[in-house]
Amino acid sequence: MRPDRVLLVDDEESFVEILAERMRSRGLEVSCATSGREALKKAQEAAYDAVVLDLAMPGLDGIETLRRMRELQPDLQVMILSGRATVKTAVEAIQLGAIDIFEKPTEVETLVERIRSARAARLAKDDQETREQIDAIMRDRGW
Amino acid sequence: MAKGEAERPTAREGVLYFGRVAAGLSHELSNVLNIINELAGLQRDIAAAAVEGGGDARFARFSDLAQRIKTQVSRGEAINRGLHRFAHSVDNADTSFDLGELLGLLAFLEERPARLARVALDVHPPEHGLALCGDPFSLLLALHACVGAALRACAEDGRVEVHAEAAGGAARIRVTATGSLPAEGADAVSAAAFRAGAAAWGAAVCLDPGTDAQRSLVLSVPAAAAAREAAGTADPSLEVP
Repeated sequence: MRPDRVLLVDDEESFVEILAERMRSRGLEVSCATSGREALKKAQEAAYDAVVLDLAMPGLDGIETLRRMRELQPDLQVMILSGRATVKTAVEAIQLGAIDIFEKPTEVETLVERIRSARAARLAKDDQETREQIDAIMRDRGW
Repeated sequence: MAKGEAERPTAREGVLYFGRVAAGLSHELSNVLNIINELAGLQRDIAAAAVEGGGDARFARFSDLAQRIKTQVSRGEAINRGLHRFAHSVDNADTSFDLGELLGLLAFLEERPARLARVALDVHPPEHGLALCGDPFSLLLALHACVGAALRACAEDGRVEVHAEAAGGAARIRVTATGSLPAEGADAVSAAAFRAGAAAWGAAVCLDPGTDAQRSLVLSVPAAAAAREAAGTADPSLEVP
């Protein structure tokens, strides 16, 4: 099975670089972006199992980046990793489809585990949808 | 208005500026702490891999050191989180907020003065959530004046307790010192608390004489609507029940 693919988004370059190195040493395939715009571009260029997104970023902030990402790819699994998520922004992120919210500092093991479980849930959902499509074709065509 | 007075920043503008800058710097400090935390994590990863790969057992020491750095980062992050909350406490002078959360911030801010005075400080929020409407920073200042007076009155190894309770839509906050708050100094404490912020709430500060060994300052905060009506009109004179 191919490694889990994750996109890390945070305007602190040193932070994403070190976190990416730690995730790679745990078998993940990691890409990094240091702005919302760069993240949107990368999310369109490649398929990711999960996106780990900061909220407080200059320019396009985390909430707006999440909104646009979900418009482009409604199935994209995005989790928030932020230092200062308020209740208001956390609720907004969940309403926009974020699957989880983590407060910095979070142990890398916790993040990796969540990324893996997100991918497993996504695969199970895809599997279920494929099965339902096959069943529908078999019913419609009378096979 | 004297010449130049209009250009002078108001106290409110000054407080807002201070809060904005402190919140921004706290955010930057948080970024630094997060990077240090991840660097310590990376150091621990590398040390663990070296030990597993049969490397020098002294690498385990690096792992221990990395863990100690992470512990200090957690401590720094907790302090920084409190600083961030304090900075944002000035954001809105007319807002709805939870008294329990404000008392949590008070406990954080007064922990150091209490520790330096060698006095134990226990802050007990209301049993159930209690929403107040007004200026949280003014109330924090008034409470700081009361707690400060109680800390000064306590002997070393004494205890200051803060209890809050709902009182018919209003709130009553009792600051009790197990030393002895001098009755003759209570006027000054009341006036200080009033100047510090109680006035904005139309709140009254009074001394509950209790016993020589245990006296309380009681801050009675009216309900939100009443607070607005009474703001600026309350009498700072000492009330003794």
